[in-house]
Amino acid sequence: MTARQISTFLGIRLLGIVLILLAISMVTFALLYLAPGDLVRNLIGNRAVTPELAAQVREQYHLDQSLPAQYGLWLQGVLVGDLGTSVRFGQPVTELIGSRLGATGMVAGLAFIVSVAVAVPLGVASALRPQGRLDRIVTALSLVGLSAPAFAVAILLLYVLAYYFPIFPVYGGGTGFADQLYHSVLPALTLAIGLGAIILRLTRTAVIGQLEQDYVMFARSRGMSARAVNTLVLRNAAAPVATAAGLTLTYLITGTIIAETVFALPGLGTLLQSSVLYKDIPVVQGLTLFFALVIAVIALAVDFIQLTLDPRVAARGGRS
Amino acid sequence: MKDRKAQQPRRLAASVLLLAAGAMIVTGCQRPGESGDSTSQPGTAGQSATTPAQQLEDSGEQMENVTVAFPGSLSNLHPGKESGILNYYAASLTMEGLLSFGADGSIQPGIAQEWSQPDDTTYRFVLDPEARFQDGSLVTAQDVVSSVEQAQDVAMFPGIAAYLAPIETVEAEGDDVVVITLSEPQAGFEVNLTSAGALFVAPAAWTEEHADSVGTPSSLLMGTGPYRVTEYAPDSQVVFEASDEWRGEAPAAKKITIKFIPDENTRLLAAQSGEVDMAFNVPLPQAQQWEDVEDMRVEFANDLSYVGLNFDTRVAPFDDPQVRKAVAHAVNRNAIVERLLHGHAESATAMMTPESIASEYSPEEARVALGELPQYDFDLDAAKEMLAESDHPDGFTTEMIFPSTGPQLGTAAQSLSQNLQELGITLNVKEVPVEEWLATLGDGEHGISYMWYFSTTGDPAEVPAYMLGADNISGYSNDEVTAALAEANAATDDPQARIDALLEAERLQAEDAVNVPLWWGQSATALSDELGMRENTPFVFVSGWGDELFKAVSP
Repeated sequence: MTARQISTFLGIRLLGIVLILLAISMVTFALLYLAPGDLVRNLIGNRAVTPELAAQVREQYHLDQSLPAQYGLWLQGVLVGDLGTSVRFGQPVTELIGSRLGATGMVAGLAFIVSVAVAVPLGVASALRPQGRLDRIVTALSLVGLSAPAFAVAILLLYVLAYYFPIFPVYGGGTGFADQLYHSVLPALTLAIGLGAIILRLTRTAVIGQLEQDYVMFARSRGMSARAVNTLVLRNAAAPVATAAGLTLTYLITGTIIAETVFALPGLGTLLQSSVLYKDIPVVQGLTLFFALVIAVIALAVDFIQLTLDPRVAARGGRS
Repeated sequence: MKDRKAQQPRRLAASVLLLAAGAMIVTGCQRPGESGDSTSQPGTAGQSATTPAQQLEDSGEQMENVTVAFPGSLSNLHPGKESGILNYYAASLTMEGLLSFGADGSIQPGIAQEWSQPDDTTYRFVLDPEARFQDGSLVTAQDVVSSVEQAQDVAMFPGIAAYLAPIETVEAEGDDVVVITLSEPQAGFEVNLTSAGALFVAPAAWTEEHADSVGTPSSLLMGTGPYRVTEYAPDSQVVFEASDEWRGEAPAAKKITIKFIPDENTRLLAAQSGEVDMAFNVPLPQAQQWEDVEDMRVEFANDLSYVGLNFDTRVAPFDDPQVRKAVAHAVNRNAIVERLLHGHAESATAMMTPESIASEYSPEEARVALGELPQYDFDLDAAKEMLAESDHPDGFTTEMIFPSTGPQLGTAAQSLSQNLQELGITLNVKEVPVEEWLATLGDGEHGISYMWYFSTTGDPAEVPAYMLGADNISGYSNDEVTAALAEANAATDDPQARIDALLEAERLQAEDAVNVPLWWGQSATALSDELGMRENTPFVFVSGWGDELFKAVSP
């Protein structure tokens, strides 16, 4: 692929991302507008509200305007780099997201590293000896990992690794990098179990799929060493595994809500959940855009990895 | 053999599910109150079942840090920005009003050392010359004036603005006198000038500088209370340290760290691991487990909360008084309190709590007076009769929602639903996030709903004025009730006359069955055995509980 091809590919993809973000922001805004709940009530609480008072609050937050007008106001701000101020927290949305990014990023990153580091080798090993003892154990474990709900896993981990064997802290985010990492272990494990099970299954399937290909039979019949054949297989299996692993990162974003709630971590997941309930539109919009952007960037990165892993994709001009 | 192996993971998974079942009751950010459960011998009106603060001996020693678990986070430290009961608990450590509450609910000096009421609408406060803000500056009358003016600003403090709306002028006379004038007389107005009400005095210059960010992590709070806030991270923690500027006795706890732990299982586990010294609003179904935690105890105290059924008189079929009365007769209050709340509450006979009329009545007398109001005892035959006389003799189908932060409201609604079935009424009970429940109050669409109200001031008019006053959520208008409320408001120098008028308003509304009282709640507070509380009354937690804590002598 030439540099020109790559820049065209990148340009088209970036334009696509912008359009998708725009569409997502519209849909989210509209959904939140229609969702049950009333921001005025949330602000005033369970107290007497005179119509005048309610009207004043409504006006303050532009709730008296039409949906397109409200969206327009928000978009105007975004275009000049202002995501707005949280109605509930009174803090700028960027500051709010920034203050919680560390906790979520560490948990999600750790979970991803652990699950890939454990699941990929296990998946490959079990695929190389299908129906072997290791394969059977690993398949059973991945079934448990897939079906156990994250909140249940979290509580179990807490009881075992924080209470009966007090190795890890019960709750909280910790201060300083090392302490934060220490506090992130159990929440990360909670997520890694589910994520790892998915990646393990996908790796196993991809490798078995490659092993059944004709080129493997030919390579073997030509007398290539098992090691050389496996290298071929792994290289070919790497592309689907990388794609899947990248996209399963989105699983982490939903999973983190549960992990953060159980472990009382100040992260983005709980922020999103509570902001949706509160109808804190600037925060929900900011977070949705942020998550969408992260996912889009991951997808883009996955495509680039595809380009390097699979020459056929490059030959087709980046379309896998 | 193979089968047994396969069963093991299944059994494990099952026990995991069981373990985690409790976690499904997600505690939200609690605006109207958490699991404000309560205690008492049901039906024994005349007996408050509050556990008295346990008699522990004060060692006189200081404590480096007390870790407190809150069941939800605070989005903002200032109750004017977010007026949840937990916000009041936290702010009371740092902020003061002109006046304050004693443990018994009596009005005491706050920043004002003395005060007088020259006429019906004028209040004159002389500031305590010793009162200093946590930044070391002396409190001036101008600081109080600006704090009052800001509290009236709905854009700045939507949660409290309405309470100070009756103030017409607030003026400083020199550096140490503040004069407040009301637009019309309002009995009991003083309670609004406490930090349990709507006044949180901060330095004028400080508030001006932090107008947009007061109560956020970047600005925190600045007040005159015994503790200053040193760190605050929403969804994580807020840290208070004893203030050197506090004019009273130094509190025993040098530092109070409030941790926000929303998941009730995690909270319990944290206590079992010895990481929590005190926990607010222990969920009722978990109370026993908390009591079982080694070196911990649970203290119950009436928390001034009221739970009752509320009907929207604009919504059919509840626009028909006979329907409302039929439903009222189908509620088994005593059974709810006794069986569903395990006695941790008291059957309510009125919207006013007995504590709110404590100035004129002993606890026993209060319960007698409130018990004399018209009551709808549990009587399904009477309910059937009422329904037969209504426009809906064959029953109807309707929905009732309850906030997820109050699972006890859900179980009570289920019990009502079961009773109503016998009348041919289908009541579908639905759990919703607390924010959604709030939005339905008075929306003119929900005919039957809950009112769950935490009074912070314990003022007798607080609930009746909200539920029966202008723009009430029931769309209820009754000239006699309005007149009674106005009479109560005008009785500025006669507390008994004021209570009589409020009782009259309650009587009139009870006859119309607009609000059906269910129970007065109690809060359950778990405390480490090393931690004592001098007083544990409804008023302590909203009026600076930090200096009530002491280190107990080890048994």
